[in-house]
Amino acid sequence: MTQAEIKLCSLLLQEHFGEIVEKIGVHLIRTGSQPLRVIAHDTGTSLDQVKKALCVLIQHNLVIYQVHKRGVVEYEAQCNRVLRMLRYPRYIYTAKTLYSDTGELIVEELLLNGKMTMSAVVKKVADRLTETMEDGKTMDYAEVSNTFVRLVDTHFVQRCPLVPATENSDTGPPPPAPTLVINEKDMYLVPKLSLIGKGKRRRSSDEDATGEPKAKRPKQSTDNKEPIPDDGIYWQANLDRFHQHFRDQAIVSAVANRMDQTSSEIVRTMLRMSEVTTPSGAPFTQPLSSNEIFRSLPVGYNISKQVLDQYLTLLADDPLEFVGKSGDSGGGMYVINLHKALGSLATATLESVVQERFGSRCARIFRLVLQKKHLEQKQVEDFAMIPAKEAKDMLYKMLSENFISLQEIPKTPDHAPSRTFYLYTVNILSAARMLLHRCYKSVANLIERRQFETKENKRLLEKSQRVEAIIASMQATGAEEAQLQEIEEMITAPERQQLETLKRNVNKLDACEIQVDETIFLLESYIESTMKRQ
Amino acid sequence: MPHIEAQQRAVAINRLLSMGQLDLLRSNTGLLYRIKDSQNAGPVSFFLSKMKGSDNQEKLVYQIIEDAGNKGIWSRDIRYKSNLPLTEINKILKNLESKKLIKAVKSVAASKKKVYMLYNLQPDRSVTGGAWYSDQDFESEFVEVLNQQCFKFLQTKAETARESKQNPMIQRNSSFASSHEVWKYICELGISKVELSMEDIETILNTLIYDGKVEMTIIAAKEGTVGSVDGHMKLYRAVSPIIPPTGLVRAPCGLCPVFDDCHEGGEISPSNCIYMTEWLEF
Repeated sequence: MTQAEIKLCSLLLQEHFGEIVEKIGVHLIRTGSQPLRVIAHDTGTSLDQVKKALCVLIQHNLVIYQVHKRGVVEYEAQCNRVLRMLRYPRYIYTAKTLYSDTGELIVEELLLNGKMTMSAVVKKVADRLTETMEDGKTMDYAEVSNTFVRLVDTHFVQRCPLVPATENSDTGPPPPAPTLVINEKDMYLVPKLSLIGKGKRRRSSDEDATGEPKAKRPKQSTDNKEPIPDDGIYWQANLDRFHQHFRDQAIVSAVANRMDQTSSEIVRTMLRMSEVTTPSGAPFTQPLSSNEIFRSLPVGYNISKQVLDQYLTLLADDPLEFVGKSGDSGGGMYVINLHKALGSLATATLESVVQERFGSRCARIFRLVLQKKHLEQKQVEDFAMIPAKEAKDMLYKMLSENFISLQEIPKTPDHAPSRTFYLYTVNILSAARMLLHRCYKSVANLIERRQFETKENKRLLEKSQRVEAIIASMQATGAEEAQLQEIEEMITAPERQQLETLKRNVNKLDACEIQVDETIFLLESYIESTMKRQ
Repeated sequence: MPHIEAQQRAVAINRLLSMGQLDLLRSNTGLLYRIKDSQNAGPVSFFLSKMKGSDNQEKLVYQIIEDAGNKGIWSRDIRYKSNLPLTEINKILKNLESKKLIKAVKSVAASKKKVYMLYNLQPDRSVTGGAWYSDQDFESEFVEVLNQQCFKFLQTKAETARESKQNPMIQRNSSFASSHEVWKYICELGISKVELSMEDIETILNTLIYDGKVEMTIIAAKEGTVGSVDGHMKLYRAVSPIIPPTGLVRAPCGLCPVFDDCHEGGEISPSNCIYMTEWLEF
């Protein structure tokens, strides 16, 4: 784990969970897997607090545990998973676009709570939706359950691994930590629940007790607590599936930019058809025949079969090579070349960064070296049609920033510089890694700046919060307009202005973090796909 | 010629040599003399009229330069071929230049090197750099203008193809332009004072490819169709980039020149970053 990653993880953990969890989490990331006592000793926190922090981290899938020999349980932090926390807004937004508000709230609840039972999720979401609806209307549980089931069917939500049921449990003392297993088939099985009920508004009293062992709600004295039928079956958000969706989106928009809208729709259809059949790390999708594609095109896209065939041929012949033809049965079998697509997207990201940082002439040289693989200094000048002095300057600048590297080919065994060929080349994988590291540091900088801005104006924020609280309480007790006006004027106009600027800045920084995260996603996917191929 | 004495023969031969009527050649057996025929005598007599009184060394140097033809020859190479010392060579070259028999042309590859060639010859492309160099200066503006013109031509072609809204195959094929078409367009525009060949246009189009604005395909074409070279044709098409400017460059950190020095608590840190302050004020 690089310094930048550790810094970013510590900022994220602190923002979401607080100081103690951050300390434990960062310690685990730095030192790898460790048993409980060692963690407590090294970080100097009490055993009790360490246990609680680990509980939180495990609940959110950020820490895993393993039983080693001699019965020692070791805990290991997953740095990658912590970095995903940056992407939560994107996941929630995707759920919103696909399944509207209900889906959005379900995914939000799952992400914020780590793992939950289905009944708990349904209940909470129904309550929240009812809050926002008009008076008198409530949200039915059935509707929420339907959306939940749809999310499971498209694999956006999956079951958590469970404790396996042991037949005879008296073959010795139970192990110190259970080993969780999950069957591939069971991952998306929804238990048969009959959740009947409607969402409740916040003021009314709760009726059923929940099955969550960690629930701290006060037990109601009125109703009996029925055992929740799906106790022990927990669900979590399936981040891989979301990543697959983002990747598909990126590919479709790339095709739309390069060709036209119809081609991108065809590619989207092909990707949708291979969503559940292709594993997430595969370099190619399953071959799809042109007849199948024609049948699965969205309604309202009435293009004839011939036109579809022409589009498919065009896509297969395009220099981008996103779509390939793998056979002729069924009217032509087509696959989408996922690895190549990710490579092109990562290369385009690199080119875009070079262009913005160094200028379009540098971008020309960069693309030239990318295409021709290895070039001498003289050849670079000739092909790019840039004067020798400027070309040299640009090449050295890019070399110092590690976008371009040198390959030495000696003519004589003594490697004398005057008798060696020096060739410029671009190594995409290492450039992508370098850029990814820079992205992590940038996000950490943005978060720090945001925290700094809020801290600077802390006094003002507290004051405005107090004023709001006073106004709210006065409205509840029915105060007059004049009094309310007076309270509001406690915040002067320049202070109001300052608050506005602060809000605008914080929003801007937040939005920027998400934009940098898009770059992080593309680069990470490319690196992952390349490493799998090796 | 046995009836003349050897010494007289030598004197006569030397005189004929100095008058330029004889050529002196060396073979394995000894020295050979050949009479120059009247055609060769023509320019030589003109040369003689200028070089009356100059010695053999100059003639030798002149011959070497003449042999070099279009490409010219470097002074060091002249020295090797004639085995004359450097000072002599320099004197001779200055002499010849002042008599306007040879000229020095600066090579575009190494600007310190001077190659010599006959006065009335055109320097070869490899020395002057061809159409892109005028007087040893790379004409970047000229290249830029051509670049933009070609791109505009291809762009309008793609636009018209897109507007036509026929079936996709025809649309795509009509958005392509062959290198011959682009060459004709540029020639008709008349923005170039120098005559440009199709290869020149292809180098310009290649730079557009490296700019990411144009893509190229090669198709097999029948021999004899306009613009085909060795049975294939190059087609070019204007394209747009596949992703918008990426997220990292929208943050000030992505373009920051002092990125590596920035850390919390230092002189340069996110809290007091001036680039961020400016960016937040937009």
